[in-house]
Amino acid sequence: MKRRPRLLTMVATYAALIVLVCVVLYPVLLVCKKAFEPGRTLSTSISPVPATFTGQHFVDLFTSSSRGELTFLRHTLNSVVAALATTVVGVVLSCTAAYALSRFRFPGRKLGLTTFLVVQMFPATLLLLPLYVVLDRLGLLNSLVGLVLVYSTTAIPFCVWTLKGYFDTLPRELEEAARIDGASQWMVFRRIILPLARPGLSVTALFSFMTAWNEFIMASTFMTDESKYTLPVLIQSSVGRFTQDWGFFAAGAVVTSIPVMIAFYVLQKYLVGGLTAGAVKG
Amino acid sequence: MKLLVLLFALIACGEPRERGGVVLWHAYNGLERTALEETAARWNAEHPETPLTLIAVPYDSFADKLTSAVPHGNGPDLFIFNEDRIGSWAESGIIEPIEFWVDDALADRFTDQATRALAYRGSLWGLPVAVKSLVLYVRTDLVKQPPRTTNELLALAPAMKKRNGYALAYVNGNLYFHAPWLHGFGGSVMDDTGRLSISTAQAADAMAFARKLVADGVAPSEPESPMVATLFNEGKAATVISGPWFVTDIAKNTPWQVVTLPIVSETGKPAAPFLGVESILMSSQAHDKTAAFAVMSALTNDAAAITRAKVARQVVANPAAYADAAVARDPALHVFLAQLEQTVPTPKVPAMRTVWTPYENALGEVLAGRSTPSAALEKVVDEVKKFNK
Amino acid sequence: MIDLGRQMRDFVVVAILAILIATCAFVVVRNTELTSHQIALADRAIDTIHDSRAPSAHAVVVGPATASRKHPFLRKRQVFDRGIWRPLTDKQLYDMATRYERQGEIAELTADGRGLVVRCIDQPGLPSSRSCTSIAIAITEPAKPAPYPFLVLIGVLGLGAAIAAAGALIGRAGRAGMFAAIAVLAVPTMLWHAWIAASAILLLGGAVALAQRVALTDRIAAALVKNRTALSFLAPAAIAMFVLVATPFFIGIVLGFYDHHAGRWSFVGLSNFTEILSGSGRALDDPLNFWFILGVTVLWTIANVALHVTIGVSLALALSRKWIFGRGIFRMLFILPWAIPNYITALMWKGMFDEQYGAMNLMLHKAGFSGASWFHHWATSFGANVATNTWLGFPFMMVVALGALETIPKELYEAADVDGASAWQRFRHITLPHLRPALGPAVALGSIWTFNMFNVIYLVSAGKPNNSTNILVTDAYRWAFERNESYGMAAAYGTIIFLILLLWTVFGTRIVRSKEDA
Repeated sequence: MKRRPRLLTMVATYAALIVLVCVVLYPVLLVCKKAFEPGRTLSTSISPVPATFTGQHFVDLFTSSSRGELTFLRHTLNSVVAALATTVVGVVLSCTAAYALSRFRFPGRKLGLTTFLVVQMFPATLLLLPLYVVLDRLGLLNSLVGLVLVYSTTAIPFCVWTLKGYFDTLPRELEEAARIDGASQWMVFRRIILPLARPGLSVTALFSFMTAWNEFIMASTFMTDESKYTLPVLIQSSVGRFTQDWGFFAAGAVVTSIPVMIAFYVLQKYLVGGLTAGAVKG
Repeated sequence: MKLLVLLFALIACGEPRERGGVVLWHAYNGLERTALEETAARWNAEHPETPLTLIAVPYDSFADKLTSAVPHGNGPDLFIFNEDRIGSWAESGIIEPIEFWVDDALADRFTDQATRALAYRGSLWGLPVAVKSLVLYVRTDLVKQPPRTTNELLALAPAMKKRNGYALAYVNGNLYFHAPWLHGFGGSVMDDTGRLSISTAQAADAMAFARKLVADGVAPSEPESPMVATLFNEGKAATVISGPWFVTDIAKNTPWQVVTLPIVSETGKPAAPFLGVESILMSSQAHDKTAAFAVMSALTNDAAAITRAKVARQVVANPAAYADAAVARDPALHVFLAQLEQTVPTPKVPAMRTVWTPYENALGEVLAGRSTPSAALEKVVDEVKKFNK
Repeated sequence: MIDLGRQMRDFVVVAILAILIATCAFVVVRNTELTSHQIALADRAIDTIHDSRAPSAHAVVVGPATASRKHPFLRKRQVFDRGIWRPLTDKQLYDMATRYERQGEIAELTADGRGLVVRCIDQPGLPSSRSCTSIAIAITEPAKPAPYPFLVLIGVLGLGAAIAAAGALIGRAGRAGMFAAIAVLAVPTMLWHAWIAASAILLLGGAVALAQRVALTDRIAAALVKNRTALSFLAPAAIAMFVLVATPFFIGIVLGFYDHHAGRWSFVGLSNFTEILSGSGRALDDPLNFWFILGVTVLWTIANVALHVTIGVSLALALSRKWIFGRGIFRMLFILPWAIPNYITALMWKGMFDEQYGAMNLMLHKAGFSGASWFHHWATSFGANVATNTWLGFPFMMVVALGALETIPKELYEAADVDGASAWQRFRHITLPHLRPALGPAVALGSIWTFNMFNVIYLVSAGKPNNSTNILVTDAYRWAFERNESYGMAAAYGTIIFLILLLWTVFGTRIVRSKEDA
């Protein structure tokens, strides 16, 4: 039996939803508007539609240069390299551990699961200072290698948890059959599980990439040289305390966010499942 | 596997080899950066065995990055910064005293005022690059006669108010920009013996004056620098108090000129801003100190000074540069030079660093009308005591 | 009786640990001895000059500074060398003399291992004063630190192994043999007077002997062998975590016991912790007081999570109504704040709260109100932060709630209708019990994320006014990187935050979850 609600309820609900959508969209539209409106300061009109259109900010963004080098492309390269390297390190180091935690029962398994979960929850900012001191001693400050190492501290626990959840969903019959046929555990992992796990590996890789791509405070702390900055630091410094170029910020924000937003939409159903499943079962 | 190799190659090629040579940090943008790069290129052409590498570090985080990097040997060999932190840096062992390499002839290259500003506790800590102070920018289409006293400045207000604008725009919430009034009313941050003298009747008068400017609509309430520039460019501010950097913020086709700051009518004293000396300082952990000093000396010689004055319109501390024809023709530079005579050196003692923020909080309270000047100043004294206990 | 092979196995594992401890002790002792040795050498060099006025290998006498008349800070010095006074051309000596004039006598080890002593040398018998006319400076050659005592350690290792083996072979002396063997390894540390290390090794020996008593070592070894495949799979990530997380973590804890000033570390014990926990002697509403920031952080977390859950669940309830047209589109739009990188969100909202140009004030003006200086008052600044974080945080709760709502079987609602239940009763007895199991972990996670939300606070209000809207993590960051590099203080702060989070994770989440199970 379908219940038809009262007209008042329907209208009220639609109204509330539409109002909330406006609240949600307004800041985003403002930024998009600024990306197309000329001028370095925010405009004095509250309308989300640009009064005048200009592509100048985007041109400035892509042609800004320093010391003969295109800065935006340089920073994009830095971000891409850092995020890619973090992803590779994270996924490569985590897939075996995730498999072990999923398939094997050994003393300390529960402890291992809890450790990875707990570490994932604690803020990386707490480790910022000791990592700074350690990287300093190793001479890895102001270098992408150091930054990738730091990003991996958050990537690995996350990858382990997500991949473990994924491996849990794979049926064991194939592995058992292979073991009976005499294959070693490592071969089973390499030949059977990994190809099957491609979707899970891709999802995990994409999440790691996104997290590293969006990371701001560590890049800002560990990099001194402007040419080593990643995109988040570049964007933040364009609206810092002393110099504010909101047009540059808006253009940069639009260009930087769109790829990760698309990726996020593709992945969002995995994200919720993985997180809550981990918290519930852990 | 191939992906990994490519990754590491990418990472590796992004690491420039910096050691073996001299590294200099700066926070310049625009024309100033161009001028610096020109002088650096000249050095590199003449001294290929000691390459000079310039690294741009954003101003916001410059000092913090410096103080964390230098003690661990990761900082630059040289850096360009204002002189007001010399005291605290010298005490922490971050900068190197350089008077050993400097003789009278070298010191005579610069104005006395500039070199004295770089002396602290019996040593010399850097060589001056440029001197900065605040001046009065005037829109010549809105103002017939640039105001010479504060009363004349206030007289501009009615006409500007009719146009929905202000007679004066400046970053009044910032102690650096408030200083001209502070000194003009006879107040100061530090007295002659080097002790803090913040809560005085004259300082309270200066704050009351700043509040009056806001309350009477003469000046806007606590704008940030971008806002000040916008007001000037849009014709909503007849005058602006700012420094040499403001020139790059003025829109094209805006008729403007600079004059020295006016005299405070209440006291008859000129409004005197802080003197800022941008200088090259040497890190105490510099790898080759003799080579670093050679670079320091080359970047501040007369030829380099002329380049900076011509290209970036910096007010250089080398008197010889003003003999150059192109430089001598610049009218703004002459005004800046004249203002230098009415400046107060920025106190360099380490305690000064803890004064800025509480003073600005107090200014915020007074300008918004939430506190009286004397009460706010007492709070500043309390805060500073707490930070220095 | 203990099998020889097992005894040796246990011995090797413990011996490696003991050697590590001994090595650490050796390095510490060596560094201290080096310092005192070098300084004593330098002192003796100065005494030689002082007594016989003969040139010494390491010490010189530097004369007073004569200033240039024009520039008082340009000074020249003379040095007494080979019986005559010459102009001083060594900058290091010049700087040392200047340092002496500023701070008095100096006796220290330089970064490259040289002993450095600077003293006044003029009138013997009179107390040294700052206005000394002749300054003696001694700089010794960098000493090579004592070499690592390989032979000694190999010797005790062999001796220990022999004792352990003997103990295993002789009847009931297996455990005694093990303890004796480890005690032998502690002998070098006792010789170096490293008592902490010696007791640590002895404790280790005792622990192993006891462990052997309950066959613990055998069981551990057996478990390792049995699970070796699993452990080898686990190894890469475990090693990476140890290096990248555990090590910095422990270093962070240790750093909290030190004070960092101008590049030098000095041990201060618990003083950082007591300073933080006592509120640094400031009033409770002073932003530099730890308890104030803790209060702000707790308020921040509660406010945000409450808002997230309320808005998220309400939206989920609305969107789960089958009669809503375009549910998919609404859902997609509501997830938008979650998709945007959160530092961009923070900067966007900072712009909106700008006093001159921000959209908030512009809208207030349009509505006839005067704008507010958002970041000049605590309440409005805090509110701005909460608004930003709520905007970007509610989608998560909404999605979790939506997922939970989808699992509720329709029959329950239909049965309730048959019974004539009201909307509120339907919500309380059907919807809520199904929401709780999903919301519980979500709230736990959300509260931890909010507690640690660095970007929003750092970028939106930046702690304004006057650092009072900082939360714990941003305050810790400022201690580390903005307040004179107080690394020790920051590390102690971080450890305290970690303990708070640990308590919340263990106890708080248990409470939250038990509420659902109830």
